[in-house]
Amino acid sequence: MQLNGGTLGSDLQSEINITPLVDVVLVLLIIFMVVVPLMLQGYDIDIPRASTETVPEEAEMTQVVLMIGATACQMLVPPAGEGLPADCRVDLDNQEIPVADLPKRVGELLGARPPEQRVLFLATDDRLNYEGVLRIVDLAKSGVEDLRIEFITAD
Amino acid sequence: MRLGEPAKMQAAINITPLVDVVLVLLIIFMVMAPRMMRKGPEVPLPHTAKPSDQGDERGRVLVTMDSTGGIWIDDQQVPPERFAEGLIAAVGDEPDPKIVIKGDARLKIGDVRAAMLAIEAAGFPGVGLIAKPNSDKAGGE
Repeated sequence: MQLNGGTLGSDLQSEINITPLVDVVLVLLIIFMVVVPLMLQGYDIDIPRASTETVPEEAEMTQVVLMIGATACQMLVPPAGEGLPADCRVDLDNQEIPVADLPKRVGELLGARPPEQRVLFLATDDRLNYEGVLRIVDLAKSGVEDLRIEFITAD
Repeated sequence: MRLGEPAKMQAAINITPLVDVVLVLLIIFMVMAPRMMRKGPEVPLPHTAKPSDQGDERGRVLVTMDSTGGIWIDDQQVPPERFAEGLIAAVGDEPDPKIVIKGDARLKIGDVRAAMLAIEAAGFPGVGLIAKPNSDKAGGE
């Protein structure tokens, strides 16, 4: 095979020319290298509509509420390292539990429900640190698949 | 070089594929650049164990909150009292908007809650809260 391939007298070229393929693949690689940092990761949080209607009693019974207080879980500054303070306690479904038990308890309470009914209502003390609350949300979500978080925003 | 003549050594490098690739890259960056500009200031994001993907940027409106209470919608800083109208303007006629909050890790949850209340009042049913996975040690953003 000669460099100018097409001239008469050259041998038949039996291999596939992969150079254009390599070009295209490299360009795709570069595209993805550019796009991936633009992807954002995070947590979807629903905001219940402020409504004056009273909740039906039956629905109220089945609501699971996670309350994070500033005295039981003193997290007023970003927690150090990757975890949560060991003495942090949260109130899940009116029971105070150590935060480390949260995935297990959420799994027990909501795991048996169909995925669209796995809703956790979240109420937090305003003084708590944002990063700490997100870590608790992350823990709760690790307890059960497809968990929806409803953040109670009303005063 | 005429056809039919035995090939000579080709002295010049064939730059056509190079030019192709460079032109494609140029086009990619021309498309991406305006979108990459449309974001607010860098803030230290919360680090968590396993945040989930927030989809691509079609229809996304990015709300950035820094630790001093400043609020940006995409790349525009807005005063808190004009947050709702800024949000509605940023969404425009987007059929499926998604509001995401990029909040400084040092914020109080109360500040974020206030923003979420305003977002709900402006008629949007949910938000995404942006976090970084712990494994990603790239620092700031």
